[in-house]
Amino acid sequence: MTSDLMLGMAGSGGDGIVSAGDALMTAASLEGYHAVLTKSFGPQIRGGESSCRLRVSTRPVLSTGGTLDVAVALNWEDFLRFGDELPVGGRTTVVYDSQTGVAPDRLPLPEVVPWEAIPVPIGEMAKKEAGTERAKNSVVLGLLAGWLGMGRDSLLAGIRKRFAKKGPEVAESNERAFASGLRFALEHPLREPRALESASATGARKLVVDGNEMCAAAALFAGCEFFAGYPITPSSEIMHFLGREIWKYGGTMVQAEDEIAGVGAVVGASFAGKKAMTATSGPGMSLKTETLGLATIAELPLVCVNVQRGGPSTGIPTKSEQADLFQACFSAHGDVVRPVLAPTSVEDTFAVTVEAFNIAEQYQTPVIILSDQEIAQRKETVEEIDTSAFVLVERRRPTSSELEGYERFRITESGVSPISHPGTPGGNYLASGIEHNERGAPTASGEVHERMNEKRIRKLDPLKRRRDLFRLEGDRNAPLALIAWGSLAGVAREGLALARAQGIQAKLLVPTLLYPVAEEVYREFFEGVQAGLVVEQSHLGQLHRIIRMFVNVPSGVESLARSGSNPIVPAAVAARLQKMVLAFQRRRAPEFEPAG
Amino acid sequence: MSETLARPIEEYQAKDYKSDLKPIWCPACGDYGVVQAIYRALAGVGRPPHEIAFVSGIGCSSRIPGYTTAYGFNSVHGRALPIAQGIKLANPELLVLVAGGDGDGFSIGGGHVAHAVRRNVDLTYIVMDNQIYGLTKGQLSPTSPRGLKTSSSAWGSLEDPVNPLLYVLGYGASFVAQGTPADMAGLAVVIEQAIRYPGFAFVNVQSPCVTYGQAEQSLKAHKAMMQRLEDLGHDPTDRLRAMALASEYGTKLYTGVLYRNPSPPPTYEVEARRRQEETRPLARPKERILEMFRPE
Repeated sequence: MTSDLMLGMAGSGGDGIVSAGDALMTAASLEGYHAVLTKSFGPQIRGGESSCRLRVSTRPVLSTGGTLDVAVALNWEDFLRFGDELPVGGRTTVVYDSQTGVAPDRLPLPEVVPWEAIPVPIGEMAKKEAGTERAKNSVVLGLLAGWLGMGRDSLLAGIRKRFAKKGPEVAESNERAFASGLRFALEHPLREPRALESASATGARKLVVDGNEMCAAAALFAGCEFFAGYPITPSSEIMHFLGREIWKYGGTMVQAEDEIAGVGAVVGASFAGKKAMTATSGPGMSLKTETLGLATIAELPLVCVNVQRGGPSTGIPTKSEQADLFQACFSAHGDVVRPVLAPTSVEDTFAVTVEAFNIAEQYQTPVIILSDQEIAQRKETVEEIDTSAFVLVERRRPTSSELEGYERFRITESGVSPISHPGTPGGNYLASGIEHNERGAPTASGEVHERMNEKRIRKLDPLKRRRDLFRLEGDRNAPLALIAWGSLAGVAREGLALARAQGIQAKLLVPTLLYPVAEEVYREFFEGVQAGLVVEQSHLGQLHRIIRMFVNVPSGVESLARSGSNPIVPAAVAARLQKMVLAFQRRRAPEFEPAG
Repeated sequence: MSETLARPIEEYQAKDYKSDLKPIWCPACGDYGVVQAIYRALAGVGRPPHEIAFVSGIGCSSRIPGYTTAYGFNSVHGRALPIAQGIKLANPELLVLVAGGDGDGFSIGGGHVAHAVRRNVDLTYIVMDNQIYGLTKGQLSPTSPRGLKTSSSAWGSLEDPVNPLLYVLGYGASFVAQGTPADMAGLAVVIEQAIRYPGFAFVNVQSPCVTYGQAEQSLKAHKAMMQRLEDLGHDPTDRLRAMALASEYGTKLYTGVLYRNPSPPPTYEVEARRRQEETRPLARPKERILEMFRPE
């Protein structure tokens, strides 16, 4: 029996491997498991290679894990294209279509002898039972239901439901294909049983949702009434969702003619008094940059989501990366501080999106949500979120006495000035990208410019004291430190757990707030730290560099960074920590001796 | 705004729309006449200043919102139209004006015009067309004639100009007009008609640059060459005729309404409101919005 299982499957576009993953995800959720599903595709619009990774566990899962326990290859060419995304190791059970003609002891896997290789006539079984190879995924689901001991009823119910539209014959033939897979599995038990422990203890049915949908739903919850955006991978699902849902809540959506118009319309809607959002990916962020600067100087709240993908330029649109952090923080001309937040999981995307709206409204500023393809397009089982625990912030409107001789950009103690909007008598003012005085009149005065810069930056200072925008885990006084953000936070948390299980004392800091850099929080975290890692999916290790701009980071804190599309797994984090401990032991640093 | 929303005309006068900000324009700039015409048109429509949002981009003419008492937005170069659409869609009750220069509208922001037309948000877009970049000291603009010598074209322009009237008509706009501050009263009438037109309305204003412009582009020259379409007996519902007249841009100066679609197509905001009303019954309470992700 196992309590935590990693499954990876790959095939051609038409093989339905991704919808099989979806079906397993639904089944896992219905049976109370925690699960996370990622999908990965080749660059083709239709067809081409496609794959998914599913991790099912009786405990909460924080990452998609490392080496696969079970790998399913419908053909080897497609499987091998995914490289490190579907890593096979010495403990992996490999299931593959025997039609590939590959002998079990001659698998085309470089330098790996898997635990077990099982050729199954998947294509033939599909043809025999359903009359078409299109039912291969139903055979695979049957095989997995048998071997994993999970989802027998719910997968079958799912097949019935999914094919109901296509008529009873299609549904029945897929049911037969499923049954034949199940039969095969029961007749051919695995050398190492992979059956999952029952999840009944973990209880209630969970939500199944991906990061983009979660972000869009959270925006509606936060009161977003206007969305404008331009299609771009991998963020378009936010627009799809809002294009369907926002009207129901009295809002409006525009598919803009370009990225600039998208953020421009959002700036306009915010000026008119509405909570508004746009979403994009790296190339779109580059285009939106000037207009985001306008929102900063005009002090207009808005939320801009960047679902990061591989860059620069077109880069790798379908793969995750965390290399847009410099851009999020620094891609403005002039002295600009613009809050940047990052969610660490699908579940976390809800709270972070609501927080982004709250910060935008509170401080009258654009806020960037730096999501990434991994979180945005992966499905997670999510426990019930208690929405009543969230407070929604609204921008500060002028009182009637403040409307007497109204000053839109009045320099206040907090730096936040009451904001009126068209339709309010007496609140008339000129918003502008040109520097302006407190009344909003254009100016070239150096003195006014200095005061306005100071005000616009000072108003964000309280953010740096928001300790709730950071999570600290592990041994508080450990000399070994980990920092990770976005989708890599889950990897680092599991890496930390592995290291601690080996007796290594370490701690982890996960920032939700990436910018402005909360100097005090990092300073405290680094007290007594001698070595550590900042774990990031980028070549440069951008957070590591940004923290060092503002904080004295101990020299032993290094960067563990790889370009996007090269997964970093928890075991790699733990191994690097282990190595650091050994290096210190050689230097006779007694505090690094493993406990026990 | 819809044509039925107008308030009693007596309620507001042109001076009620004039702010106390002093224009930075050169003495005798054509834009002085344009802003006067806008005050007059707004008084004609009669909406209170706080119900008006006036958006511009960057350029000499884009300073114009600040010279009115409306809610103004002097934004960034070329992006006035998307911002104005966001404002109108967020609050369709507002009267939304957009203004800018020929560079703002037909060069850096040229990509937005076609979409503003086809999206048909109820805006009035006033372009102050002076065939030159004045703010940056006299470079070629998209409407500069071929051969024009400017600070950026010492040997003369090698490009044909954009024809704003023909472009916007070609994009399918329902209301297209032209005016000149040389006939301020006539311009005010045209702008008022544009504001009252329910849908996207475009007014090209030939507004001479006295500092960098060509000699033939002066108010005096305009007075001599302008021809009122009304006087010519032009039927503004005749789109093909309007296009023929528009093709004479650069050689003739027609003023008045070139084209006015007698059956205005639906605006985005009206359609949006309908969709909101139709789908409202399908909304889950916001606090239970996540239940849509519960698998069955």
